Amino acid sequence: MHTATEYLVLFYIFFWVVRIRGCVRRGRQPLLRGPEWFFNVHVQPDFYTGAGKKILYRYWMRMLIPFVLDIPITVAIFTPSYLDYAPWLLIAQAVLIHINHVYSVDKAEREARPIAVPETEQPVDSMALSLTPRRLRDYANPKVEWALALANIVALALLFRHYFADPQHQNWRVVFAVPAFYLYLQVGMLFVKSVVLAWRTPVPQTQATEHMEAREETRKYYLKMCDWYRAFVAAGIVFWSIVIRISPAEFNRVSRIWLAAWLVITVVGTFLVEIKRKQLVTVALRARPVRMPDFLHESDIARWPVCYQPSAPMLILKGAHGYSLNLANTLAHLGAAYLAGLVVLFALLRMGR
Amino acid sequence: MFLTINTNDPRPIYQQVADGIKELIARGKLPQGAPLPPVRQLAADLGVNLNTIAIAYRELQKDGLIVIKHGSGSVVASSTTTERSPDDLRRPLRTALTELVLAGLSSTKILSMVIRELRTVGRGNK
Repeated sequence: MHTATEYLVLFYIFFWVVRIRGCVRRGRQPLLRGPEWFFNVHVQPDFYTGAGKKILYRYWMRMLIPFVLDIPITVAIFTPSYLDYAPWLLIAQAVLIHINHVYSVDKAEREARPIAVPETEQPVDSMALSLTPRRLRDYANPKVEWALALANIVALALLFRHYFADPQHQNWRVVFAVPAFYLYLQVGMLFVKSVVLAWRTPVPQTQATEHMEAREETRKYYLKMCDWYRAFVAAGIVFWSIVIRISPAEFNRVSRIWLAAWLVITVVGTFLVEIKRKQLVTVALRARPVRMPDFLHESDIARWPVCYQPSAPMLILKGAHGYSLNLANTLAHLGAAYLAGLVVLFALLRMGR
Repeated sequence: MFLTINTNDPRPIYQQVADGIKELIARGKLPQGAPLPPVRQLAADLGVNLNTIAIAYRELQKDGLIVIKHGSGSVVASSTTTERSPDDLRRPLRTALTELVLAGLSSTKILSMVIRELRTVGRGNK
């Protein structure tokens, strides 16, 4: 088997193990707060033996939807001509797992609300607003930023040097396609960080500190994950600037080391993420869920999966039937511009291939 | 540092936000130069129209308490409002005292209440 296929198969097996763990974790999520709760909905004592049984079952069944993508992934891994598609399908599956989970939790909670304890379904009277600004620079670690910038600059300098040493015999697309794409991914990660920071933090006045701590810890966790991805991608550019200059024989050896290192990092990283997740759950469970007042009447103004509400400052609104993407939000415009830029980048890199 | 918004409060939300920030400035919790969150952040957290928070910030700016810098956010400019005539300052005090008298409170009770509130605001000790 080809080296890349071997590692992809290994990664895929590991991915399965992680996903099974994820399925168990998500399966238990509705009951984390105890038998009186279904996710964040305070339910009647007979919920899990009565109407709630079906809601819970449907939620579990929805968790299996992303497994559909395993068919094309398996085909891509074992069909040499489609091997290039496998990593993309794996990324698509990871995204689908998360989107499906968020959607399923929201849907299950909506189904449970009509049979919830009525008093707990009343919105709270008092809200606490944090006056601490949340900007990218407030959550950035200067040392990490400098290290990432330096790694990118040095790697690009090496690539330019390599290209200009003999521009006649070098195809600029071969030299710069990978780093250009990786740099673009880093910009994308910064955009994701902005979205995480913009994520609204409404907290009730009672237990404000606990609620704020839970949200802040979750926010920091996601921001840290973005920084890790940026670091991995920057390492990819550095790796490319090294392997592009070595002989094919050496390339295979270095690639094996590189892929093996990735596999080890992924395994260790997954364990660390699981530990952190457990800590986050402990912090989140300290804050008792409450319903927040809906000043904008979101369910009335957002009836479709997408909406256009210039007056609403949120990217995502909790609409009548689920989440609704607010197309009037600046982040939605930036996201659309980013995706358009990605298409243009691919077109440029493929042109004249 | 938190600002409290109450849905049962008869004051509009923008007024609650402005009053809350004023109180934090008066109590010294928001010192001169302290950055305030962007309008978009506060509006999103609260789930209100952008204008609601923008009006509150404009009111604070009008009072000389904050400076709005477009692009770099707002900061606390001063811990005292811009010059206002004694009549202007006395008017809200009189309104509040009238409410208390109409509520049937004795002068002693009103006085102790005023002293307690003054201590909460933080300037009473000075």
